[in-house]
Amino acid sequence: MERALPLVVPLGQAEVFQALQRLHMTIFSQSVSPCGKFLAAGNNYGQIAIFSLSAALSSEAKEESKKPVVTFQAHDGPVYSMVSTDRHLLSAGDGEVKAWLWAEMLKKGCKELWCRQPPYRTSLEVPEINALLLVPKENSLILAGGDCQLHTMDLETGTFTRVLRGHTDYIHCLALRERSPEVLSGGEDGAVRLWDLRTAKEVQTIEVYKHEECSRPHNGRWIGCLATDSDWMVCGGGPALTLWHLRSSTPTTVFPMRAPQKHVTFYQDLILSAGQGRCVNQWQLSGELKAQVPGSSPGLLSLSLNQQPAAPECKVLTAAGNSCRVDVFTNLGYRAFSLSF
Amino acid sequence: MSSESSKKRKPKVIRSDGAPAEGKRNRSDTEQAIEIEERRIQSCVHFMTLKKLNRLAHIRLKKGRDQTHEAKQKVDAYHLQLQNLLYEVMHLQKEITKCLEFKSKHEEIDLVSLEEFYKEAPPDISKAEVTMGDPHQQTLARLDWELEQRKRLAEKYRECLSNKEKILKEIEVKKEYLSSLQPRLNSIMQASLPVQEYLFMPFDQAHKQYETARHLPPPLYVLFVQATAYGQACDKTLSVAIEGSVDEAKALFKPPEDSQDDESDSDAEEEQTTKRRRPTLGVQLDDKRKEMLKRHPLSVMLDLKCKDDSVLHLTFFYLMNLNIMTVKAKVTTATELITPISAGDLLSPDSVLSCLYPGDHGKKTPNPANQYQFDKVGILTLSDYVLELGHPYLWVQKLGGLHFPKEQPQQTVIADHSLSASHMETTMKLLKTRVQSRLALHKQFASLEHGIVPVTSDCQYLFPAKVVSRLVKWVTVAHEDYMELHFTKDIVDAGLAGDTNLYYMALIERGTAKLQAAVVLNPGYSSIPPIFQLCLNWKGEKTNSNDDNIRAMESEVNVCYKELCGPWPSHQLLTNQLQRLCVLLDVYLETESHDDSVEGPKEFPQEKMCLRLFRGPSRMKPFKYNHPQGFFSHR
Repeated sequence: MERALPLVVPLGQAEVFQALQRLHMTIFSQSVSPCGKFLAAGNNYGQIAIFSLSAALSSEAKEESKKPVVTFQAHDGPVYSMVSTDRHLLSAGDGEVKAWLWAEMLKKGCKELWCRQPPYRTSLEVPEINALLLVPKENSLILAGGDCQLHTMDLETGTFTRVLRGHTDYIHCLALRERSPEVLSGGEDGAVRLWDLRTAKEVQTIEVYKHEECSRPHNGRWIGCLATDSDWMVCGGGPALTLWHLRSSTPTTVFPMRAPQKHVTFYQDLILSAGQGRCVNQWQLSGELKAQVPGSSPGLLSLSLNQQPAAPECKVLTAAGNSCRVDVFTNLGYRAFSLSF
Repeated sequence: MSSESSKKRKPKVIRSDGAPAEGKRNRSDTEQAIEIEERRIQSCVHFMTLKKLNRLAHIRLKKGRDQTHEAKQKVDAYHLQLQNLLYEVMHLQKEITKCLEFKSKHEEIDLVSLEEFYKEAPPDISKAEVTMGDPHQQTLARLDWELEQRKRLAEKYRECLSNKEKILKEIEVKKEYLSSLQPRLNSIMQASLPVQEYLFMPFDQAHKQYETARHLPPPLYVLFVQATAYGQACDKTLSVAIEGSVDEAKALFKPPEDSQDDESDSDAEEEQTTKRRRPTLGVQLDDKRKEMLKRHPLSVMLDLKCKDDSVLHLTFFYLMNLNIMTVKAKVTTATELITPISAGDLLSPDSVLSCLYPGDHGKKTPNPANQYQFDKVGILTLSDYVLELGHPYLWVQKLGGLHFPKEQPQQTVIADHSLSASHMETTMKLLKTRVQSRLALHKQFASLEHGIVPVTSDCQYLFPAKVVSRLVKWVTVAHEDYMELHFTKDIVDAGLAGDTNLYYMALIERGTAKLQAAVVLNPGYSSIPPIFQLCLNWKGEKTNSNDDNIRAMESEVNVCYKELCGPWPSHQLLTNQLQRLCVLLDVYLETESHDDSVEGPKEFPQEKMCLRLFRGPSRMKPFKYNHPQGFFSHR
C-alpha cells in the first residue's frame, strides 16, 4: 500500500526534541470556561493550554485558531484533573491543587491565585490528585487520589475540612449524587464507595469485580471511571462498563466493550464512554451500542461536554487522551476537527 | 640697272626715231663709220659713266648698308646691355628677396625670454646699455648667452653620462655577486630542512605550499587561507595541504578563442555524426557531461586529528563549470578497526559527513544556476555523481566563501573570506565531534552485536545493579523496512524518519517476553537523540497505540534522554538508552499485576523495589529509577 511520505523538514536539536515531546504528550484533563468560549487542557508535562472554542468553531477559523491561545507551565508534574467554578479554574496533579482566574489566564505570565496541599499521611512520596469534584451546595471541593483518601476543602476559606478514609488503594474518580449529597468514589481496589457528606461516613460499597457479569480479571479490578444520575450509576475500568442501580446495588446492564474505559458520562438519554481505543462510544441505556465515532488519538482519557448556557454556539463534545490533540465533535456523529497543543 | 637699261633703250629709241633705216645707208658709210665711232666712243663713255654710276651706286649702297649695320650694331649692343642689366636687376632682386627671406638659424633657437635673459645673463654678455637700443646687438648678446649656457649644460651632461656609466658598472658587479649568492642560499636552505623538521617549523614546506596556492581557484584559495589561519591560530591538530598537478592548473589558462573554436568544430562534427549514426549522440552527451562536471586539477586536503589519534581526511575539490565545491571524506584510525556488520554505514565516506548541519544532506547542488546547466546535458541530479565527485555540502560552500542566496537573483558568486572565516570554527568543531561520536558508536556497535550493552562506569549510577533483560540482537534495518513497520507510524508521520537517518533494530528478551525496539539514528547524534519505537510481544502484542505503559517507556528514553547523556560529549547516549530499555522491560514485566483467573505463579517475580505499582489515571508503572536509594518511582 503506497503511503504518501510526509515532508521531512531539516530538524535541529530543538525541533527534534519538540517533536518528540509532542509525540509523547498525554492530555489528562479538560475544563470549559464559565463563559463557554474557552477550553483548558492539561497535559502530562504539567502544562495547561487554553484554546478558544469560539474562534475554532467560527466560520473564518484558520490553522492558528486550532492552536492554543496561551500555554503555560502550571504544575511540576502532570495535570491529572481540572474543574471550573464560575470564576476560577482549579487544576490538580502532583499533590497540590492550584486555582487560576479565568479572566487572567488569557494574558501571558499569569500566576496561580492560590495553591493548597491537602494533609497527607506519608511524606515519602507525594501522592497525586486524580479527581476533583465541586460540591456547589457547600461551596467546597473534594480531592481524591494517591493517598486513598477523600479530602474536602472549603473554597472560601481554603481549609481542609473532612477526610474520608476507606479505600485500600488509590482513588481514580469521583462523582456527585446530588439528591442526597453523596459522593461516589471509584478506586484501584475495585470498589465504588458512597460517602455521605454530612456524616462523613461511608454509606455503601459496591465491589464491582466480585460480580461475575462485569468482572474481567485479565484487565484487573480497578475502577477507572464513574458517572451517576442519582439513581443510576455507570462505572468501568478493568471490569466491563456496567450500569448499576444504586439502591439495590445490582448491575442492570453490561455494555459489551472489551477495552477498558477511562471516562464515562451521561448525556441526554445516552451514555458516552471513551477509553482504550480510538473511539467515543455512544450507548443506549439498554446496552446497545448506538455509535462509535473515531477520534484522532489512539486512546482517550477525558471527555468534556460544553453545556454552558452562555455560549450555545460552542456546544461541542471534546475528547482528549494519548496524544497532543483534542478532538472536537460538533455533532456526536463525527469528528469535526482537532485542536492541537 | 633699269636706268641703265632705260638709258640703253632710250638711245635705241632715239635712234630708231631719228634714222630712217635703210634708205640712208649709202649716205655715208664713212659718216656712219665716224658716227659709229663717235657713238662707240660715246657709248664707251656712256658705258664708263654707267659703270661709274653703277660703281657709285654700289658704293653708296654699301655705305648705306655699312651705316645701317653700324647703327644696328650699336643698337644691338645697347640692347644687350639693357638685357644684361635687366637680368642683373632681376638677379639682384631675387637675391634681395632671398636675403630678406633668409631665416637665420639663430631664429630657430628657442632663446630665453628677454626678461629672463636680462635677469640671468651676466652683464658682460648682456651689455644692457648697448643691447637695449640695438636689436641686432641684443640678438647677438642673447645668442652669446645661449651659447654659453649650452656649453655649460653640455659639460654637465657629459659628466652625468660618465657617472651613469660608473654606476651601471657597479650594478653589474653587484648583480654578479648576488647571482653567485643564490646557489649558496639554496644549499643553506637544503641544509636547514632537517633542522626545520626537528624544530617543527616547516617554513620551507609552507613556502612551497603558498607557491602552489597561487594556482588554486578562488574558493579553494579562500578555504586554504582560512583553514591555515585557523590551524595556526586555534587548532594545532589541523593540517592543510594542496594536492594535484600545478602544471595542469596552469594549462587551464589557455586563450579562450581556442576553446571557442573547439566548440564550434565539435558542434559541426556533432551535426555530421548525428546524421550518420545515432549511438554516438549518447557518447557526445556523455562527453559533455564529463566536461560539465570537470574538477579543477588542484585540491585542498585537510587533516583533522582527534584526541584518540584517529584522523579525518577531507579532500576538497572545485567543480569549475558548476562553481561549487565538493568534499570527500575518509576516517583513519590509529589501530585497525574491525567493522561490525551493523556499523557498515557509520564511517563510510559517503555518509560520515551527512547532515553535519541539520538538513545538509549533500545530495543536491547548492547552486541554483546549475539546474539549467544540467538540463542542457541531461543530468538529472548531482546525487548520481557524488560518489566520484564528492558531496557538495552547504558548509563546504560556506568554507570556500561561496554563498548562494535562494531569494535573490544570481549574480556571479565570488568567494568571500569573511563568510569562510565565520563558519570555520563551528564547522571544524562539528567535524571533530562527528568523527568522535561515530568512532564511539563504532566501538559500541561491536559490543552490541555480541549482546553486551557497554555501560561505562561513570554512567552506572543511572541503572540498578541487577538488570535481567538482555539485548539479544542488534542489526541494521533499511529505511524502507523501517517505514513499513506497524509500530513506527507516529515517527514517520511526524517527519522524523528521513532517508538521511540510519535505522537499527534491537531485540531485548527476558523469559518469554520479547521487546523489539526500532531505532532512528540521526546523523547529528549525539546532539540529536536516537528515537526508539517499541513493540512488546508478551501475552499479546503491545505497542504505544494499545498500551499506555509502552508509550511511557518510549517517553522515558526519547523525551527524558538528557539524563542519559552522560558526561560530555555524551557518546554514551545510545548505550544508556538501551540499558534503560532493559531496566524498563524488567520493571514492566515484574510489576504486571497478577491475573487471578490464571493458574500458576507469576512468570516474573517482583524484585525491584517500588513504592507504588500504579499511579495516575493511566495507571503508570514506576519507571523512574532513583539513585542511590535504588527504588523505582513515578515521574
